[in-house]
Amino acid sequence: MPGQERNNPKAFLSGLREILGDDGLLTDDAARFVYSRDASHLTLGRPLAVALPRDESQLRRVVGLCRTVGVPVVCRGTGTGLSGGAVPGHGALVVGTSRLRDLGPVDSIQRRVRVQPGVLNDGVSRHASPSGLHFAPDPSSQSAASIGGNIAENAGGPHCLRHGVTLQHLVSLDWSDSAGRAFNTGRAVPAERGLDLVSLLCGSEGTLGLVTSADLKLVVDPAEVATLLAFFPDLEDAAGAVVGLLGEGLAPVAVEMVDQAMLLAVEEAFGFGFPTDVAVAMIIEFAGQPEAVAEDSGRAGGFMERHGASEVRRAADDSERDELWKCRKKAFGAVGRLAPNYVTMDVVVPLGELPGLVREIQVIKVQHGVEIATTFHAGDGNLHPGVHYDERDPDQTRRAHAAADAIIRAALDRDGSVTGEHGVGIEKLHVLPWQLDRETARLQRGIKDIFDPDKILNPGKLHPPADADFAALKPVPAEIDFHWANLTVSAPADASLAQLQQTALERGFWIPVGALAGDEGMGLGRGTTVGNLVAELLTGPALCPAGTARDFLLELWAETGDGRLFHAGAPVFKNVAGYDLVHMLCGSGRVWAQPRAVTFQLRPVPESLGYWRFQLPSDEQQEVTLLERLVEYLTGRHGSLGGPMMIVDAGTGSVVVLIPGRSRPWDLGQIGEDLANLLGTPAEHIELPFNRATEILKAELIPGWALNSSDWTFLCRLPDQEPGAGFRPAGMGRLIWQSTPRLIWSPDPETSHPGWHADRFYSGGRVQPPVAPAEGVPFDFLIRMKTLFDPSAALETPEWMEGRDG
Amino acid sequence: MADPRAHSPITELNHLDELLRQCVQCGLCLPHCATWLATGNEVQSPRGRLLLLGEMIRSSGTETDTNATPNAFLQAFDECIGCRACETACPSGVPFSLLEYGQLRAAEIPPHRLDLPVPAVPGAVLRRMDQPGFLEFLSQVAGLVRGVLTLVAGKTWRRRLDRGPAGTGRLVRLLGSLPTSPRSDAELVRMLDGLCGRETQRRNGLPHDVALGASDNPSAGPRVAFFRGCANSGLLSDTSRRFRDLLSASGCRLEEPAAQDCCGALATHTGRPGRSADLRRRNRDVFAGALNEGTVIVAEAAGCSHELKEYGDEFRTGVVDAVVLLAGLDLPPLGSVPLRVAYHDPCHARHGQGIVDEPRMLLTAIPGLEIVEPIEPEVCCGSGGAWGLRYPELSDELGRRKAADLAATGADLVVTSNPGCLGQIADGLRVIAPDVPILPLTDLLWYAVLIRIDSTRS
Ligand SMILES: Cc1cc2nc3c(=O)[nH]c(=O)nc-3n(C[C@H](O)[C@H](O)[C@H](O)COP(=O)(O)OP(=O)(O)OC[C@H]3O[C@@H](n4cnc5c(N)ncnc54)[C@H](O)[C@@H]3O)c2cc1C
Ligand code: SF4
Ligand code: SF4
Repeated sequence: MPGQERNNPKAFLSGLREILGDDGLLTDDAARFVYSRDASHLTLGRPLAVALPRDESQLRRVVGLCRTVGVPVVCRGTGTGLSGGAVPGHGALVVGTSRLRDLGPVDSIQRRVRVQPGVLNDGVSRHASPSGLHFAPDPSSQSAASIGGNIAENAGGPHCLRHGVTLQHLVSLDWSDSAGRAFNTGRAVPAERGLDLVSLLCGSEGTLGLVTSADLKLVVDPAEVATLLAFFPDLEDAAGAVVGLLGEGLAPVAVEMVDQAMLLAVEEAFGFGFPTDVAVAMIIEFAGQPEAVAEDSGRAGGFMERHGASEVRRAADDSERDELWKCRKKAFGAVGRLAPNYVTMDVVVPLGELPGLVREIQVIKVQHGVEIATTFHAGDGNLHPGVHYDERDPDQTRRAHAAADAIIRAALDRDGSVTGEHGVGIEKLHVLPWQLDRETARLQRGIKDIFDPDKILNPGKLHPPADADFAALKPVPAEIDFHWANLTVSAPADASLAQLQQTALERGFWIPVGALAGDEGMGLGRGTTVGNLVAELLTGPALCPAGTARDFLLELWAETGDGRLFHAGAPVFKNVAGYDLVHMLCGSGRVWAQPRAVTFQLRPVPESLGYWRFQLPSDEQQEVTLLERLVEYLTGRHGSLGGPMMIVDAGTGSVVVLIPGRSRPWDLGQIGEDLANLLGTPAEHIELPFNRATEILKAELIPGWALNSSDWTFLCRLPDQEPGAGFRPAGMGRLIWQSTPRLIWSPDPETSHPGWHADRFYSGGRVQPPVAPAEGVPFDFLIRMKTLFDPSAALETPEWMEGRDG
Repeated sequence: MADPRAHSPITELNHLDELLRQCVQCGLCLPHCATWLATGNEVQSPRGRLLLLGEMIRSSGTETDTNATPNAFLQAFDECIGCRACETACPSGVPFSLLEYGQLRAAEIPPHRLDLPVPAVPGAVLRRMDQPGFLEFLSQVAGLVRGVLTLVAGKTWRRRLDRGPAGTGRLVRLLGSLPTSPRSDAELVRMLDGLCGRETQRRNGLPHDVALGASDNPSAGPRVAFFRGCANSGLLSDTSRRFRDLLSASGCRLEEPAAQDCCGALATHTGRPGRSADLRRRNRDVFAGALNEGTVIVAEAAGCSHELKEYGDEFRTGVVDAVVLLAGLDLPPLGSVPLRVAYHDPCHARHGQGIVDEPRMLLTAIPGLEIVEPIEPEVCCGSGGAWGLRYPELSDELGRRKAADLAATGADLVVTSNPGCLGQIADGLRVIAPDVPILPLTDLLWYAVLIRIDSTRS
């Protein structure tokens, strides 16, 4: 009987003890007190007890028991969260993951590793470092925060400017639902379509399920890193310089700032010896190929000097770089030296709005008579203004909170979001309605009801009350609208993708999902619309993509089956204000909702495209070895702007290699030399300006390989296969190999290859419906989500759904 | 000279509260805390302990009343090793003295109120630990016990003993393991020669003890007053002699005040503040003359140098840790030691005195030697003096954890500079990586000098 044993905590506790053993359950006063707090300084009540499971099965059994007796479960990593996510209400059970610390072996070929949720963020990178890999999301709390907490908050960090937030680094999740059932929800296949539950779970703050294990992506350690430190006498100038720098098409891996107040605190704490008479210290980092890093950091340094920097320094070596980062990453902790209390905000605005917001915060500071110290993930438009006060002074306390609310309003007025990385928790429940429209909030609550019908998972978090005063629906864009300063573009769903890309390419930017060539040729299909790109998660054997639509989508307007419009996301680079409906729906077809309009992030285009053509050796064994070596070489060459690809046609014996890059002796020039060495013969070679590449390719280079008229299947190696078994299914003679997303496209009708996942994506140039989701997916949830979004089944209903119960 | 602890500023609750506010609860200290790493329990973390202290202060109003404080709160402080790793890690500058305050409160309550695995090591044994000759005697007994047990019961003795009164098995193991580190010069040379793949030559004087000889420049070094330390003189007397040998060979003018006594740390650890104050007073008198003449006082064990610095301002500036002294000396030329070496930082050096670079400088100075860094150099090995005897299981787990971290570097040899850490890690390595030996840093340096002398002779 649910709820019955709630009145009998003794029986419940002994049930827990049976699962966990004596040392796995803490019921003493000290534990109940300590676990009632986290880094947010917010509290709700005293938990009943704290469970520290030693394995995943213990965790699930504990959750299952809680569900039967109706006791709330609050999952906890290390309690470094800043929005009160891990703070339990009275009588809840805290389930800590600190004893779930297993690290799986590093798969250095697929660049993945499987870890348990209690592993600390830093620990993953240390584990992967002998393989020359690391875990890219690097929150300032990375030494202490757990992977489970990172996933639950979708944590970001300085280097997310280049690599994206936690969500972009998840392959699959093992998780427990509120009844303790085990699920595995994955994106092992880069372009897999369907409702993306990984996107939903990531950032859901422990309100939908508990992550018990995660398969993480790793990225390659850069060959060279250059770190600049620039000082500015004026804060607004500094913010303007960041906008200008990114608008130049430079692609730093991180741009961070600390203002003067913060700099003073850090100096006092660590005595780095930085000047404290400046308004801003800014860190700009470039990473990658040594010459590119030298060229870009040189340009960036010059740019900063021309745009208001009073001094630009360059870290001489690794230890100096470590010092710089320590200054940035320890800044938050050092605020304890400034005042006894503070409210830290986590607002994020479109990039171009950064200078304006900075100006407005100065005004708010004066108006409310408060002290504010700020750190910035400037390149992301994300900032952490901290308003300081002493709680023993009621007037100061009141002013501090009023100033904080004013800053949040100011960010929302500029089309921003209330939280870029810290989450809603309990801290932002009162401000979230200022951002969400009523319909979106209703859908979010509906999702919660489906996943957690008894409301035992982290209750009281993330969802504002249903009767809150929600924001009005943001108007749906009616035409393609570029916001160059923000590096975003909005467009209605029926806008032509080719037209959008064409305009962007002219300015040196694009959505790097593959270059398009009007109606034909190497692209993503005839007459593709922006809506199709998003709904179908279109990929294809297109030119040098850097990812899929999901990686660059920021904002979505969509309509439910019963005609209700809602708006999710914001035109900002990170956003964790509620469940991530944007990425969950991207690629889900038109089954749950219909896209109406979107906002994408724009990225700089590569300067040039290198093209090499050569003949395969006639000896079969030689051919295989050569191709394997080519793939290995090209894999190491993938850049952030777009990755290499290779087109193989064994019939004619021709191979074409396409690599985005720079027309410099040390880049495409060097690649040419490397290829000649690999091949043993020179290849036919052209270097093209990237924005003309599709046109030329279409006209001259690869006749007969048109997407529109062909059948295309994508293939990807199944995750549990032995690495090193070859880059393609044995005997496959015609294919396009892509480095990002890592797929093989085959025009052959035969789709079944042992050890490989295959998806017939295009048939006769038309996109095919996705195959049924793999096992391990909670079908009942998917179907109840269908009922939530499309109650009268007015939208498409895939075959696999029919006859199944929710 | 007044004892600084007698009117420690921390006794004022208002002041405590003020300091506590400096903790922003960020949690960045957690991964540096040995007890949290081993248990995953946040009560046993720095932030957890600070939260509890705050609650104790808030709920008591004027004076923290230990009787009204729940046991579990005080237990959390008793379980703190006092390693200070959290203080080093904290970006907000929260002082360790807060936790120390909690420890003092916990020490006030009768042991039976704490949920300790009683009976612990007999109090009589603990009380005698700082008496001259006692440790040496004990370690010989322990060595004997170990030997006999291994003979009689094979490898199972360890488990059987651990089932006995808590801590005794541990004490026997730790003490018994110290004599297994080389004692005579000949043993040390043979062992290191073996590791380096050298054939042990018949040296002048070997296998008997050798001296490095006086410096070419005998009065170039500073005047040094040697503080013996009871563990070093009792358990590692040969190492201690080699250390002095090294100092003389580096031109130091060495004196050794005879009337010196234990620094008092052991008495503090075993809850005898009176005895500790006595010892301090005695040592202060003994070394006052040296201080006045500007002679530096050197203590070989990091634990002693740390404790001596707490005697007061003159001692804080006048006392120098052995490793720091050596790093500043003009050492005799060093011969090649082609080994991968991991250094373990004693908490009393790294966190207590901020000594991090000096031991590494010394190792780098040895030709052919490669330093390898463990992943968690800042985490305590779990020895903790008397703490380890009260929490033997936790202490053992930490010792193994530390040994695993050190062994994972691929080191051929581990070195450190505190006898407590030495025994603890030796014990952990025996389980985790029996092939990896551990030595005092000074022994390794001494060997490097000897090798060089040999090579110039031949
Ligand atoms: C000094 C400092 C700097 C910070 N810097 C950054 C930064 O740069 N970027 C950033 O994004 N954040 C930052 N944070 C915030 C915080 O570190 C992150 O939100 C982090 O991801 C939280 O991890 P945790 O293990 O501490 O989670 P906790 O605080 O323990 O929990 C956070 C939330 O996650 C849920 N949760 C935890 N584990 C699981 C699980 N296994 N399954 C399901 N739900 C789970 C909890 O229920 C809770 O809702 C910072 C915090 C501090 C104190
Ligand atoms: S002691 Fe320091 S590091 Fe630890 S939680 Fe407090 S402020 Fe953070
Ligand atoms: S002194 Fe050591 S054991 Fe005690 S809380 Fe700090 S880090 Fe943990």
